[in-house]
Amino acid sequence: MKFILSRTILYSLSALFLTTSCLFAQNNPPSKIKASSIQVEMIQSGEIELPAEFKIALYENLLRQLDKQKGSLQIYREGDPNAAAAADLVILHTTVRKFKAGSERTRQVTTFAGATSITVHCSFTGQDGNLLLERDVNGKVRFFGGNLRATHDFAKKAAQMVRENLSAPANGQ
Amino acid sequence: MKLRSVAIPFGIALLFAGLRIPEGKAQEAPHLAKQIQAVHLIGLQGVKDNAKGKLSVEDGKLHFVYGKASSDISINSIQDVVAGADSKKAVGKTVGTVSMAAPYGGGRFLSLFRKKIDTLTIQYRETGGTLHGVIFTMQSGTADDLKKDLVAQGAHSVLTEGQKEETKNAAPNNKASEDQKQ
Repeated sequence: MKFILSRTILYSLSALFLTTSCLFAQNNPPSKIKASSIQVEMIQSGEIELPAEFKIALYENLLRQLDKQKGSLQIYREGDPNAAAAADLVILHTTVRKFKAGSERTRQVTTFAGATSITVHCSFTGQDGNLLLERDVNGKVRFFGGNLRATHDFAKKAAQMVRENLSAPANGQ
Repeated sequence: MKLRSVAIPFGIALLFAGLRIPEGKAQEAPHLAKQIQAVHLIGLQGVKDNAKGKLSVEDGKLHFVYGKASSDISINSIQDVVAGADSKKAVGKTVGTVSMAAPYGGGRFLSLFRKKIDTLTIQYRETGGTLHGVIFTMQSGTADDLKKDLVAQGAHSVLTEGQKEETKNAAPNNKASEDQKQ
């Protein structure tokens, strides 16, 4: 009886150890892209019919959120002549993949329908054009706020993605 | 006697001057730029979001006056200007938020009432080439006039896909009506 109990405890402990070690291995952060500056290009709507105000709100909100949590990252707008001379510049290209306009009235009356959602494909390239990273980021507004609030949600998530994946080179090199 | 002889012509001169001043103002009035009440949503440098002010088009610039400050955009730098339509809660802000707690769905009932508004979206480049975007909202039916004023003074406007289709659809209809006339 004692033998079975001790074996059970032993197997359980070894299983627990294996699981935790696997989890820790997965949580190891991937190496970050070295960048000291980022240039944000204007949002491309591609084949999606996106209202002009959404396009501008996405661009401006993204710049604002990046500026809020930039750390040592220098932020440039599209067409900024100073970006050409910037060291370790990463260019952020964004293309809208999905867009559902939703309705603020429906949201507030029903509380479950009428959500506005937007999915944007973000790709980071170097100055030479080589692809460094690409991700899809979505923005939603489910209950409170106007439809444009989805752009704010997207911008916050995109800025967080930038913070997680980009880091300034050590000693400013 | 002398005083009276001086005072009467002086009084008459003053009277005429008084009559002329409003006339002069009336003549100046058409030259004043049309000002439109607007709310700045996002984009203008140094202007808070949701700042209320007045928009006007004059001297090749789009002026936004809010409080004691103002902000300008050179019309020649505008790459695209789009007038759109939207709506907002008729009962908004604090009352709207507090009403959400009202019993029997009173707040939701208030959400049914909405006010139509226009949006004016502007995309422009600084002299260096840096790209900016601005969004304003204003009373319904005013954004189109403002857009026309901007385009008349040199702003560019790119047709959206929807507008392109409208013009495409309109063209065959026009041709058909011309054929019918003939």
